[in-house]
Amino acid sequence: MLQQYILKNKEAHYKMAFSYTKSKEDALDVVQDSIEKALRSYKKNGAPDHLNSWFYRILINTAIDYTRKNKRITLMEQEKMEFLLEAEDQYRNFDLETAMEKLPNAYKTIIVLRFFEDLKISDIAEVLGENVNTVKTRLYKGLELLKIEMKEDDNE
Amino acid sequence: MNKLDDLKKIYDSTEIPDELEFKVRQSIRRTKMKNGIQLGKKFAIASVASLIIFTGMVNINQSFAMAMSELPVIGAVVKVLSYRFDVIENDNVNADIEAPVISGLEDEVLENALNEKYYEESKALYDDFIEEMGEIIEMDGHLGVDSGYVVMTDTDKILSIGRYVVNTVGSSSTTVQYDTIDKEEGILITLPGLFKDDAYIKRLSDYIIETMKSEMANDDSKVYWVGDDQFSSFESIDANQSFYITEEGKLVLSFDKYEIAPGYMGVITFEIPTEIISDLLVNSTDEGYVKP
Repeated sequence: MLQQYILKNKEAHYKMAFSYTKSKEDALDVVQDSIEKALRSYKKNGAPDHLNSWFYRILINTAIDYTRKNKRITLMEQEKMEFLLEAEDQYRNFDLETAMEKLPNAYKTIIVLRFFEDLKISDIAEVLGENVNTVKTRLYKGLELLKIEMKEDDNE
Repeated sequence: MNKLDDLKKIYDSTEIPDELEFKVRQSIRRTKMKNGIQLGKKFAIASVASLIIFTGMVNINQSFAMAMSELPVIGAVVKVLSYRFDVIENDNVNADIEAPVISGLEDEVLENALNEKYYEESKALYDDFIEEMGEIIEMDGHLGVDSGYVVMTDTDKILSIGRYVVNTVGSSSTTVQYDTIDKEEGILITLPGLFKDDAYIKRLSDYIIETMKSEMANDDSKVYWVGDDQFSSFESIDANQSFYITEEGKLVLSFDKYEIAPGYMGVITFEIPTEIISDLLVNSTDEGYVKP
């Protein structure tokens, strides 16, 4: 069951991992680490109640471990700058992306899970091991932060 | 909400690398393989002759080299021979699998059982490699299997052999398994066999958790899967956790790459201070395998 889930959702998992690592190699490593970690835990502890939330939790923790270890943020932004120079019509997206990347993980994760991966608030609460109200508060705060950040950029 | 839609578009358009499918399957297979190899299955008698027949069969399909080498005599009684087979398709696709063959143990049943196990595991590695090879060559990818053994300890009393498997497909995974033999008594030493009862599992687990946490607190570059990550956090060693005993008589527990930490941490070992387990040991530290 878990294997089928992993195979079926691999692209979503990869995108999620990439949103943290911003590098193909690291994202692949994160996906691989997560799968091995999940399969081991599955064998040891049996099936979790909610496969999807459980797997995302492993994936996100693994991704955060990687970013903590690699601290590639500076390099990443430089690469983005070069990309920007080549493709001017990406300018707007670049602003948005930067704003998104500047968000602390606690907010970014919730926005990605809610709007990009289409998880319910209650599922996100399970992924993060937080209660529903905390998740809601952070979601609104995260959106607010994004907008504020955008406006400040517009004023420059 | 337009901004969010834009962000979603960017997110959705994340390019999916071609090798994702393969890497995912590889990870699944790796975990399966590791768990598929277990001690304690019924032992058929395997002789060195059957190993040669097996490698002879390999020869039909692959460029292949076999070396039957006698290592410098290990200990007075027990000798470790080895056989190997190599498959070298090209720079990117190759296997080097070397397995130990123990001879000279007084207990032939044990000797055969161990040699059979080594043979079965090496053959399984080889079979997996051949199965994957075609796919990899087609994708122009990397595939490497490097397997061999290390004699960890060889005293008058004890022989500890560690066998490792390094699987390389882009990133690599490493597993290590140990066998520790009492040469005088001709018995295979097991982890539960060292202790009076199950209490060792908790004692050792607690020590390891404490050590992981303190190492993480003192060194930013170290990450173990322990603590706040409740779903997959390390909680306990396996009753038959991989272990060996050093020349000085210290117990060492070993964890495979990915078992308790992210891949970059590699294979992890913890040497256990004898004083924290001495009251749980079957034999006193004067007489037993584990020394102060």
